[in-house]
Amino acid sequence: MKKRPKIAAIATIYHKYSHTQHIVDRFLEGYGWNSRHHYPPMDLVSLFVEQVKDNDLSGERLERFPTMKGYPTIAEALTLGGEELAVDGVLIIGEHGEYPTNEKGQRLYPRYEHFMQIAEVYEKSGRGVPTFNDKHLSWNWEWAREMYDISQSMDFAFMAGSSLPVTWRTPSIDMPLGVPVSEAVCVGYGGVDSYDFHALETLQCMVERREGGESGVKWLQAYRGDAFWEAHHAKLWSRELFETALCRSHTLTPSRPGFNNPFPNLDELKDIVKDPIAYQYEHNDGLKSTMILMNGLVQDFNFAAYIGSNDEILSTQMYLPMPPARTTLANFFSPLVNNIEQMFLTGEATYPVERTLLTTGLVAAGVDSLFADSTRQETPHLDIVYQPTEASTFWRT
Amino acid sequence: MKRIAVITTIYRYLSHAQHFADRFLVGYPKEGRWHHPDMKVVSLYVDQKPEGEQSTDRAREFGFSVYPTIAEALRCGGDELAVDAVLSIGEHGDYPTNEKSQVLYPRYEFFKECVKVFEEDGRAVPIFNDKHLSYSFEKAKEMVDDGHRLGFGVLSGSSLPVTWRLPDVDLPLECEIEEGLMVGVGGSDPMDYHALEAMQCMIERRKGGETGVAAVQLIDGEAVWEAGKDGRWSMELLEAALSRSDTPGGLTDEDGRTQDMIRNGEIYRLVDNPAAYFIDYNDGLRSTLLMLNGAVGDYCFAAKLKDEPVPVSTQFFLTPTPNVTYSACLIAKIEELFETGIAPYPAERTLLVSGALESCLTSRLQGHVRLETPHLNVEYRAPTESQHARR
Repeated sequence: MKKRPKIAAIATIYHKYSHTQHIVDRFLEGYGWNSRHHYPPMDLVSLFVEQVKDNDLSGERLERFPTMKGYPTIAEALTLGGEELAVDGVLIIGEHGEYPTNEKGQRLYPRYEHFMQIAEVYEKSGRGVPTFNDKHLSWNWEWAREMYDISQSMDFAFMAGSSLPVTWRTPSIDMPLGVPVSEAVCVGYGGVDSYDFHALETLQCMVERREGGESGVKWLQAYRGDAFWEAHHAKLWSRELFETALCRSHTLTPSRPGFNNPFPNLDELKDIVKDPIAYQYEHNDGLKSTMILMNGLVQDFNFAAYIGSNDEILSTQMYLPMPPARTTLANFFSPLVNNIEQMFLTGEATYPVERTLLTTGLVAAGVDSLFADSTRQETPHLDIVYQPTEASTFWRT
Repeated sequence: MKRIAVITTIYRYLSHAQHFADRFLVGYPKEGRWHHPDMKVVSLYVDQKPEGEQSTDRAREFGFSVYPTIAEALRCGGDELAVDAVLSIGEHGDYPTNEKSQVLYPRYEFFKECVKVFEEDGRAVPIFNDKHLSYSFEKAKEMVDDGHRLGFGVLSGSSLPVTWRLPDVDLPLECEIEEGLMVGVGGSDPMDYHALEAMQCMIERRKGGETGVAAVQLIDGEAVWEAGKDGRWSMELLEAALSRSDTPGGLTDEDGRTQDMIRNGEIYRLVDNPAAYFIDYNDGLRSTLLMLNGAVGDYCFAAKLKDEPVPVSTQFFLTPTPNVTYSACLIAKIEELFETGIAPYPAERTLLVSGALESCLTSRLQGHVRLETPHLNVEYRAPTESQHARR
């Protein structure tokens, strides 16, 4: 029988509904998958947690799962207290926890710092192992690029990103591979340097499948508040795609009292959404994509695009069963963990990390644009060219 | 443009009448568009008008009339039937319950009023009847028979069969099912009805089509778990159904963890008073609805198909309040009935489920006995095309 891979988890914090809890718990407790309670065929043997606070769950988990040991440093978690790398896969979960923000409002999660300590162990041991980085690579573009470059030069499988690309879709459809796409929109919710990333990943996992694959992004411009409404009015992004995305939402805030599901008119939209935000960007092949955050109006992520030679509309919602309002389990982490498991078993990422490298750069460019009075940011560094996987990788079974 | 009469028990915020009728007034999301039916609500009858009800406001804003009787609503105050379809929503409102704890909604009475008008005026139009046809199988059967007798389309039932599914699967038409199992939650009789209909819309696709129900039994308490251990229902299928749940209680609620609820035994601790509804079909198929309040909060189905090693399973996705976009999925089917005069799926499904539920509740009342149900020999064929939301 093949040896069960040993996995290390490097986390910022472990509390209820933290990303660490969602991801690590699935390795420890198993999760519902394909009509079974599935136990990943691997052992999570070591855990590093940077912040242990009153709400900590790592103590309870370490006690209940004695095969997993806690280590005081990242290096020790990877070497299991020895001299050399002693695990077969690494999870970096640098989300949640108390970290400072910078002047642009970015939360300075130490994903890069953690990654570099991991890379040092890899370097010393003369080999790297498959590594998953939760969410964007870093708040800092140069650091993200360095992480990517290290993974390339050391030649270990590297995967990253959000659950949005892999969760359920309503309807359960993917972008046809190789189809022309002329414009794409995602309407979502949440904050800057946070859920904007999820919305960008939503867009990117779809448009990367277009004719020619991903060509990189040449510029980005953010719009906020009145500037957003002006741009919306001037149809800088397709009104039709925007409205189509709203028609995929399951959470449209009723614009009229006494009605449960009316469609808002423009005046009602302005009344409901006090702080609209858009990042619009042009890809090197001419595709225009727009990421829109409509806080107050929706609480889901909805995608719409013009595809094919006749500009047909393709639209769907990337559905997040989000606790605690709607569910108790954040089950969108199940397909994410399942993809990570595949990488740990095969040594191959199931989808390209270049997607997340690009969306990491888009988040940073969006933040920069907002910080610089919504000026257009030229992004020659986002000249990131890659091809999607042929097979769909979202949750369908 | 088709003219619609709305016949309802009560019209207030988040009542079924408000969900359903409003979608004809303000449109609804359909296949990525905001769709406005090419139909007009022209008349309304409402049985109860407590404080805060909305029928008067709606009538004023959308230009239709509220009539004091169903016959007048159907005739729009004139001498003969003056609408092209009837939306009958007998859900919510203050109505008595019987000894089986069934709420005695006047769906049959509403329907018969419509039929009387159809007969008197020599013309019949399609009727949509929300939820089960009636608390009484006998009445439900008369309703379906009226549709056949007078040749008008009857559509009925819950949103569950037509809502999104996670994953988007249907049972292959003419598949061989070894056993079916549904997990549901909520009170009896409103929510067990939804769960039974969700199960029925899956298993009716089996080889040979629906053959009717031979016997039912409702048991509750510890006996439910004992029956599972004895193989009366399948633990494997329960695991399959639970694998689709997003809402486990207990330890998940406490600290967010995923749970292997059967193996860790939590399910036995969490469910306050489990109930099992055994439905035995004329062709030998056995299926079970487990009502597991406390363990989960969603509606999941699993079936074992012949020669398939892994059960098929899915969650019937009840999208969040207040949009409840699952009801938009049902409106699209109602619109199809109104437009074409033909029900997209047979009312016999709802008839059978109405009767199976009634017999289960009788079983409970009579001390959880097994009841032979020769009267439930309702045979029908499932539609070839899948009817749930997928586009």
